[in-house]
Amino acid sequence: MHYWINHNGVQSGPVDLDGIKELHLTSAAYVWHEGLPDWVKITQLPELQGTYEVVGEPIVAASKPQGGAVTGQPYQQQPSMPQQQYANDLEPAQTEPCPPTNLVWAIISTVLCCLPVGIVAIIYALKVTNKYREGDIEGAKRASETGAWWCIASIVLGIIFCQPMLSMLPELMGSGM
Amino acid sequence: MRRTMIIILVVAALLVFGFIYYALDPSASSAFPQCTFLTLTGYKCPGCGSQRAIHALLHGDVVDAFKYNAMLFIAIPWIGLCVYAESRRTRNPRQYARLNAPLLIWLFLAMVLIWWVLRNIFGW
Repeated sequence: MHYWINHNGVQSGPVDLDGIKELHLTSAAYVWHEGLPDWVKITQLPELQGTYEVVGEPIVAASKPQGGAVTGQPYQQQPSMPQQQYANDLEPAQTEPCPPTNLVWAIISTVLCCLPVGIVAIIYALKVTNKYREGDIEGAKRASETGAWWCIASIVLGIIFCQPMLSMLPELMGSGM
Repeated sequence: MRRTMIIILVVAALLVFGFIYYALDPSASSAFPQCTFLTLTGYKCPGCGSQRAIHALLHGDVVDAFKYNAMLFIAIPWIGLCVYAESRRTRNPRQYARLNAPLLIWLFLAMVLIWWVLRNIFGW
């Protein structure tokens, strides 16, 4: 399991459990790992107990280094708060991994499937990263899914047109290779 | 576990297709699919010639492969790079974001479109 850490506005990670211990975190730190919908306070993850020093109300809100997604007031925090902060964040690239752009499939279907459908898939790949850069994670996920369907469509079409290939199996056997 | 399965499937598919494209010549055998775009419009698509190019490449004939489809020489390394980024998407999100940067995708798209037009003008 790898963790991303936001401690007093400074982001680090991915680190594993041993790496977290070396960071000398306090209970003011936020943590994210794959599978979590959002950042959580380090104190909310039972498996991390003992890796941080328990401190009182943090005095960190004033100095927020660039790229920090999570700032002070953790104790009155509403569940929706971090999300709003992401929207203002300049580089959401550091908070949640980008949804798949399917660029590999888009390129493969453009080059090999002989179908311009692949170009649509490339445009959707572009949409994914653009939305992701803007901080619109939801939009990026939607574009990622639509793009995936275009990839599937072009590959299915490719297979339909590749059908004559099956007929060459006897030819293969006959060639003795 | 799922990861290993995917890797095994991809390698198996590569071997099967590699063997087929090595053993048979797409320009001599009628079994290979014709480009639908070419059949319908009479114009080449960006991917036209890639089957013959792969056959030539597998036989070490780089010059012929380049004549059949020059774009493949950019697309194949690019695919490799993207597969690498994809395999590390959650472990290294920043690198993934860099390799999938809008600028790079634009560049690829522009290349495909320019190549598409030019090859039909000059008959590449």
